[in-house]
This record gives sequence, C-alpha cells and structure tokens, in this order.
Amino acid sequence: MPVSTHLGSQLVDLCSVLLLLCCFAIVAQRRLSACVDLFALQSAFLAATAALVAFLTGHRHIYFAAALTVVIKVIVLPRILRKVIERLNVSRELGMNVNIPAGLLICGALVIVAFFITQPIIPLGYLLTRDSLAIALAIILIGFFTMIARQKAITQMVGFLVMENGVFLGATAAAYGMPLIVELGVFFDVLVAGLIVGIYTHRLQDAFDSVDTSTLTVLKE
Amino acid sequence: MWSVIVLLTGPVIAGLLSLVIRRARVLHGVNFLTMLALAVAETALTRQVLAEGSVTTLGAFVYVDALSDFILVIITAIGLSCSLYMWSYMDDQVARGVIAPKRLGLFFFLFHMFLFAMVAATMANSLGVQWVALEGTTLATTFLIAFFRKRESLEAGWKYLILCSVGIALALFGVVLTYYSSVRVLGDASSALNMTALIGVANQLDPNVLKLAFIFILVGYGTKVGLVPMHTWLPDAYSEAPAPIAAMLAGVLETVAVYTVLRSKALVDQALPPEFSGNLLLTFGLLSFIVASLFILIQHNYKRLFAYSSIEHMGLAMIGFGVGGLVGTFGGLFHLLNHALAKALAFFVAGNIHRRFDTLEIDGVRGLARAQPITAVAILVAGCALVGLPPFSPFVSELLVVSAVAAQDFASDTMQVGRFVTMTISDEMRSLGIITVFLFFGVVLFGGFMYRIGAMVWGTPPAGIAQGEPWTVGHVPLMVMIVALLGLGFVLPEPIRTLLTRAVNVILVR
Repeated sequence: MPVSTHLGSQLVDLCSVLLLLCCFAIVAQRRLSACVDLFALQSAFLAATAALVAFLTGHRHIYFAAALTVVIKVIVLPRILRKVIERLNVSRELGMNVNIPAGLLICGALVIVAFFITQPIIPLGYLLTRDSLAIALAIILIGFFTMIARQKAITQMVGFLVMENGVFLGATAAAYGMPLIVELGVFFDVLVAGLIVGIYTHRLQDAFDSVDTSTLTVLKE
Repeated sequence: MWSVIVLLTGPVIAGLLSLVIRRARVLHGVNFLTMLALAVAETALTRQVLAEGSVTTLGAFVYVDALSDFILVIITAIGLSCSLYMWSYMDDQVARGVIAPKRLGLFFFLFHMFLFAMVAATMANSLGVQWVALEGTTLATTFLIAFFRKRESLEAGWKYLILCSVGIALALFGVVLTYYSSVRVLGDASSALNMTALIGVANQLDPNVLKLAFIFILVGYGTKVGLVPMHTWLPDAYSEAPAPIAAMLAGVLETVAVYTVLRSKALVDQALPPEFSGNLLLTFGLLSFIVASLFILIQHNYKRLFAYSSIEHMGLAMIGFGVGGLVGTFGGLFHLLNHALAKALAFFVAGNIHRRFDTLEIDGVRGLARAQPITAVAILVAGCALVGLPPFSPFVSELLVVSAVAAQDFASDTMQVGRFVTMTISDEMRSLGIITVFLFFGVVLFGGFMYRIGAMVWGTPPAGIAQGEPWTVGHVPLMVMIVALLGLGFVLPEPIRTLLTRAVNVILVR
C-alpha cells in the first residue's frame, strides 16, 4: 500500500465531509434544478469516496459500486429529474414547512445527534473509515429532514436519494461495501423509484395542476 | 427444489404473459392457474420443510424454514382466493367503465410483480436481498393503489410511495449496521448477511451495534407493517386501492413485513437479553392497539374502518411477539394467519358493497341483508372475527396473546422518583396494567366496530339500489374464508400446528 493509512483516512474523511457539505447546500437551496445539480455533485463525491476506499483497501468490488454510482446517480437520475422539472415549468420552491435559516440550524443539530448516537459503535470500525459512519448517519438524517421540510414532489425525491447516498456511504465506511448482489439490487430499486417518481409527478400535475404535495389533502380523518 | 423454482418463476412468467395477452378471459385463466400452481408447489415445499426441517437451495440464496414456510402458506392461500375474487371484480369494473379493458393486462403484470417480490422477500437467505425485495413490493404496489387514477387514489399512492421508501431507507441502514457487526466475525464474505450464517454466530456479534441496527430495522419495516406512529399512509392506501389489492396489502404484505422484523428479532435476541427487543415490540404494539381503536370510533368510511382494524391487529400480534415465550409467540404467529383470512374477507366484502352502493361512506350503506344477502353474512362473520368474538379463530389467538401477557415474568423494577421516593413496580402490577389497558381498548373497539357494521347490515336499502345477489365465482373465496375462520376456531389441523410450533422454535432459536 503506497499511501500511509493515516493520510488515507484523512482523505476518506475529507470526501465524506464534502458529501455532508452538499447536504447543507441542498437544504439552503430554493431552486429545484440547483438541488438536482447538488445531488449529482454529492453522488460524484460518493463515487470518489468509494473509489478511494477501494484503492486503499484493495477490495475490487467497491470499484464496481463506484462505477454504478456514477452511471445511475450522477448521470441517469439527475437527467430524469431535470426532464421532469423542465416539463412541469416549476423552478423555485416558494412555500416551505421550515424556513432556510431554521432548517440549517436543525441540520447542524442533526449532525451532533448523529455523532452522539454512533459514539458507542465507532471504535469497532476499521481505522481507515472510522468517522465516516457518523457522517453517513448525519446525511441520512438530513435527507429525512429535507423530505419533511419541502413540499415539492421533486425535492422530496431528492431528499430520498440523499438518504440513499448516506446509507451507501455508511455501507462503504462500515463494512467496505455490501455483498455485490445486494448492492446491485439496491441500485435497481433506486433507479426504478426514480422512474416511478417521474411518472407520478406527471400524473399529479394532470390531476392537481401542481406538484406541490401540500395540495394533497383530499384524504384525511 | 422444483417447488422453490415454481414459486419464484411462476409470478414472473405470469406477469410477462399478462403484458402480451389481450383477452380478459385468458388473463384471468392464466392468473388463476398460476396461483393454483403456486399453491401446489407450496404444499410440496411445506411437506419437505416438515420432513427435513429447512430447505437451503439455489446456491444458498434461498432459505426456507418453518417460519418462512408458514408465511408462504399465507401468501399463497390469500393469493389464490384473491385470483378467484378478481375474476368477477375486475370484469365488473371493466364493464362499468371504471378501467379501460386494455389496462387489465397492466394490472395483472403489477399484481404478479408484487407477488414475486413478496415471495422473494420471504425466501431470501440474505437480509440484504430481503430488503431489496421488500422495497420491490413498495414499487410494484404504488401504481396498483393508484390504479383507478382518481385524485384521491393518486394522493394515496404518492403518500404510500414516499413514506414507505423513507421507512425502508432507514431499515437499509439497519441492515448495513447488522453487516457491520457480522463482518467482524464472519470476515468480508458475501455470505455475512445470510441468516443461516448469522444465526450461528449471533452471540459473538457486538451488542451495541445490534441494538442500533434493530431500532432502525423496527422503525423501517414497522412503517410497512403500519405501526403507530408510522401508520399514516395505511388508511389512505387501503381505502383507495382496488378491493383485491387492499386485501393483499392488508392480509399478506403486512404479514411479510412482520416476518422481516421477526427475523431480526431472532438474531438480536441471541446477542442481547430478549427484554430489549421484547419491550420495543410491546411498546409499539400497545401504542398501535390503543391509537387504532380510538380512530375506529370516528370512522365514517368502511374501508378506512377495516384499515384501522389492521393497525390494531398488527399491534396485537406485536404484543404477542413482544411478550415472547412459547405462548406469546405462538399466539402472535397464529394471529397473523387469522388476521390475513379475516381481513382479506373484509376487503372482498368491501369491494362487493362498493360496487353495489357506489359509496365508501358507512351512512350511505343501509339494508345490506336485503340488497346483498351473501355479502351481509360475510361482513357479519368478518366483523365478529375482527373484534375477536368466539367461535371464530381470531378469538383463539387473541386469547393466547392475552394469557401470555398475564403469565409473563417481567423482572420487578425499582424506580427512584426524586430523592426520597422509591417506587417498586412488581411484575404482577405491570402485567395487570397492560391487561387492563388492553381489555379496556378492546371493549372500545368492539363497540365502535360492531355499531358501524350493524348499521350497514340492517335497515332498508336506499332507493335505486338493486336487491338480490346472483352467485358469481367471486363468492367462492368468501365461502371458503368463512369456513376457514370457523374451522380454525375449533380445530387446528395437525400440519399447521406442527408448522406453527416449529416456527416458534425458529423465532426463539431453540
């Protein structure tokens, strides 16, 4: 191994932090197309992290997962989402359940919570990717929060994909990637979910003249 | 071996065929024959499991033991009756112009993909593959729920897709954490998520990691089970889905989701004291039971009424599993079967009523006994079974769960309140408290439920509603289920009893 473990773990940490930074940027962004771009950027960082871990540990199958990430999450899914946005003629999110400054503060708190929760299990991890597990949980929580805070169908989907990115980072960090068959299945599910959301927004637009999920209030007690 | 292959490939082949077949009669025929083939294969598989204990095949991808086989029995039994019911239901909807004839093929394609995903989730050896299949059920059913393409059904489908996807993403993190703990012990092998490998080394896994993993898995898969407070999608989805799909969602999908939780519970209980997972299940179960019984009181839509009853029954089963032990676990598992039968019957009935009265409002339905006599009998049976009246089988399983709660031995807890007051809660006190709450809300539920159903059955039908009910093929499953609910209330056939006992041993790892 040409790179020392210390330097390696610093690099992995750096990449994970960049992913987290993208999360904050998504929370702070009102323009839908920018949210999608940020998601694509985050996925690119994720692929870089995975490739780095693969290089440092010599686990070949992580390269494969990184390549799939590039194809599906950096290229295909953002393209689908951008098409949906173009077709729908919505560019900005006007009403939010939580405003941006408050949202950012909550996200900061979520990061602390994530580090707190993972405290007891971090020492078990590989030296190389130890802190990434906490960051992965933070990304999952922030993705979750985005889905709650936003009303547009597209941003809710972006929130879901961010959660998925967090889980993937967690798998790479905690266990150097899941078994290949599982990873393939997860990618397949995410891709199909993206396609379904694309079709759905189209139908919602037809039925409600809007993709604002706050108009979905017919069904209640 | 062949039975496993039939169970896995049958739905896929039937689904693909459905896309190319145009004629409705052929579609129904293919659907029914597939379900019949699955039922035959499942019978053979059960025989093999009873003889050999467990079946591992297809390169250790498939693992079927008594527990998963029991779930497969529920899937195929409800699936078979569903295929008969759909024959008359879907034809009727096409004739009424609710769905275009050419969309029938798409319906069956999605239905079979849904079925395939559930069978795969139950048979999967790897917890990861199980997750992939369970997410597959979400993706396959979201368009089935929104199949009528009304505004309400689109809304229900969207909520279902988003909430269940989020839930299941959390569960995936739980699976990742399980893997995190197991690669320590098993090494970086692709089999490190297989149940066959995990259960053997479960006591060496790190308890802290498993604790966190179980919480994520319970919350994640609990969303699909419909446990309170993750249940909000469920009444919307069940009330808007076509009746046979609602029956499959309530009877089968919930059961499969409970199964995935049980798998993790069996694992976690090896590394941690069983009280940890037990108390979590007990809390979620009681909460679901209480909240659902209160919501039943204010329902004016009969499909939503049945949906809340599902939440309540899943809560009840969870209480059984939470208390654990032989009796509680047996009662919980038996209750899954009884609930699947009763709830499928209830939604079939709801489909019949909806087609005749054209409303989902309870107030709009009067005089069912005159308008649809067979359906009226069926809804009375379903209602009595769902509130747990004897002689129907849910009474037996509910009694088992209650007696398990009464007989459990919680450790006495001493609680320091403030500086000077020390409270000791003995185990009898706690059992008594849980049972009091349980029975009280049971009574609330009984009143709310039977009142609504009584209002629908008796009285004079509104003007303009046709009276009398011609016999169709869709009535066959109603009769079969009534007989099954009555029969299981009196005798438990030997194969099912053996299967259940072995399944209990799988959960308790004995």
